[in-house]
Amino acid sequence: MSTLTKVFDWVNHRLPIQNTYERHLSKHPVPKKVNFWYLFGALAAVVLVIQIVSGIWLIMLYTPGEAAFASIEYMMRDVDYGWVIRYMHTTGASMFFAVVYLHMFRGLLYGSYQKPRELVWIFGCTIYLAMMAEGFLGYVLPYGQMSYWGAQVIISLFGSLPYIGESLELWIRGDYYISGITVNRFFALHVVALPLVLIALVFLHLVALHEVGAGNPEGVDIEAHIDEDGVPLDSVPFFPYKVLNALVGIGVFMTVFAIIMFFFPEGGGYFIEYANYEEANPLVTPDHIAPVWYYSPYYSILRAVPDKLGGFAAMGAAVAIFFVVPWLDRSNVASIRYKGILSKIALVMFGISFITLGYLGTVSVTEHRKTMSVICTVIYFSYFLLMPIYTSIEKTKPVPDRL
Amino acid sequence: MNLIAKRFINLPNLPLIFLTLFCIFLIQNTFSAEGAPCKDYGECDEFKHTLTDMTSLQRGASTYLTYCYGCHSLEYSRWNRVASDLEIPEEIFFNNLVFDASVRPGDLMAGSMSKAESAVWFGVAPPDLTLVTRLHGSDWVYTYLRTFYEDSSKQYGVNNLVYPGAAMPNVLASLQGNQQLICKQIPVIAENGGEKRDNFGNTITKEKCGFLSVESGTGTLNKDEFDNLIYDLTNFLTYVGDPDKVERERIGWYVVFFFIIFTTLASLLYREYQKDYH
Repeated sequence: MSTLTKVFDWVNHRLPIQNTYERHLSKHPVPKKVNFWYLFGALAAVVLVIQIVSGIWLIMLYTPGEAAFASIEYMMRDVDYGWVIRYMHTTGASMFFAVVYLHMFRGLLYGSYQKPRELVWIFGCTIYLAMMAEGFLGYVLPYGQMSYWGAQVIISLFGSLPYIGESLELWIRGDYYISGITVNRFFALHVVALPLVLIALVFLHLVALHEVGAGNPEGVDIEAHIDEDGVPLDSVPFFPYKVLNALVGIGVFMTVFAIIMFFFPEGGGYFIEYANYEEANPLVTPDHIAPVWYYSPYYSILRAVPDKLGGFAAMGAAVAIFFVVPWLDRSNVASIRYKGILSKIALVMFGISFITLGYLGTVSVTEHRKTMSVICTVIYFSYFLLMPIYTSIEKTKPVPDRL
Repeated sequence: MNLIAKRFINLPNLPLIFLTLFCIFLIQNTFSAEGAPCKDYGECDEFKHTLTDMTSLQRGASTYLTYCYGCHSLEYSRWNRVASDLEIPEEIFFNNLVFDASVRPGDLMAGSMSKAESAVWFGVAPPDLTLVTRLHGSDWVYTYLRTFYEDSSKQYGVNNLVYPGAAMPNVLASLQGNQQLICKQIPVIAENGGEKRDNFGNTITKEKCGFLSVESGTGTLNKDEFDNLIYDLTNFLTYVGDPDKVERERIGWYVVFFFIIFTTLASLLYREYQKDYH
């Protein structure tokens, strides 16, 4: 036995390296037939790594507090290839939400939340919630006009809570108005607290997923047909088959990522808002305050409700409702392919209303748009609230036995 | 498409019609017109930057440092970086374009006027312009600088179509000449799209106001020369706003090319391995 093997054995007897590798990679069974929708989880993992690595380098160059804006311009101009790091992080933020939205839509499309994957779904929703907080905190850090006024809008929402509102607002800001002190604490939360939470949640999301196994677009339970070793007949090992599949997806994704990052880093004002090229100024309110695109659907829902507290509640409910989807869906099939016409219409309407709400959140309010955002908000919630009804009354198609 | 149509869009006609109508309703009500970006001017004039045209950038820098830098700093940009990016030898640059002997090559272009004092003089401190083209867009800057007009009701005797009430004198008036808003007789368009005529065949006109016109002989440059000057100036400000743009896009091609090759190889490998179970 070579020395290297001896060392490996010594470690392996004390740390489950081989076991873990086999269980989660080389022997982990995944459905052999899935489509591109099943790639976004892997892509989200890739973006998470990009965000963490570029984030570490950004911390080396960034100064929190009121000097933040100048420090961003310093890293963009005076630091060699500083712009690579920063644009990687800003593009990554938008792409993170893009792939996570598609990943979540996949879940709704193919019933990925259904038994036994409820916990996987719930961990996923918690990741999304943590991401929203992480994104918001990060957006404040450059301390531009939109950072400042966006934070002003969001923090003031907490002020709308009865009794504790005002003190809570003060406690969040750490000051009587948003200042360098607020930026300092947001910085601490953005780079230490929430990334720790996110990584822990991603770990749980994956452990839970590997316990119950990945789903497939047919909604077939591949565990029902296993060979003598207990391996599902319609599965292939994760490594190398799924890894190679993901590698193709990663290649396409990174091509798109690079095109945005090098040629359109501002994404037409959607990824980096133009108003954020002006330093935060508490005395001048921008003409038009708009969140970045990935929050805009919820901002529309907030604005659709006339009362501030009511709007805040609706916005919270719009995110929270995802958590209970596994119990709202009463269908006996998982995939949209075998669900009835009602589910299909509901999902299409939901998709359209979500995108419309997203657009409406980025533009100024007019009378027509206000009506539209109310209609779309109603559709958004109807998709979830009516789900127990339409999924139980519609006629579903029989699901095949094998994949 | 056939596959998708079969699996996903095989809705009966009625809901499909309903969905289409809903979408049309959505689009009609959602995408109503926003206010024009260049305010009273309407749509901004289009500006196409040429960041590799060094002579244009050099002329722009020269105009900026002569006419604008007295009030407007470029506080995130450094003198020697501008000189080297614009391929101006430092000696020529510092002897001819930098009017402050205390400036050292690596300094930021922090301006020569105190912000606090200028706020008192002008009512508002002249903003730093390092990022102006990224904040408002180059189109906006290019249009703004060409749309000052005489307005005796204002503090400096001028107003601006793009930024009504701008607290800035028209610094370039000696070059452009006195620009005024004038009224013109324009033909009335009939319902059939042609010009309306009276019984004698003469075109019927009506007065329309708000046209910009320069009083001839009042400026040292003609319209084209002035437009070119503003073009170069805006081009320079576009460079200052995003000094690494050219370099970024150059590198970008290599990165994109790398990922295309990567994707091709990965998919070939994946296809090979797929044969194991298909």
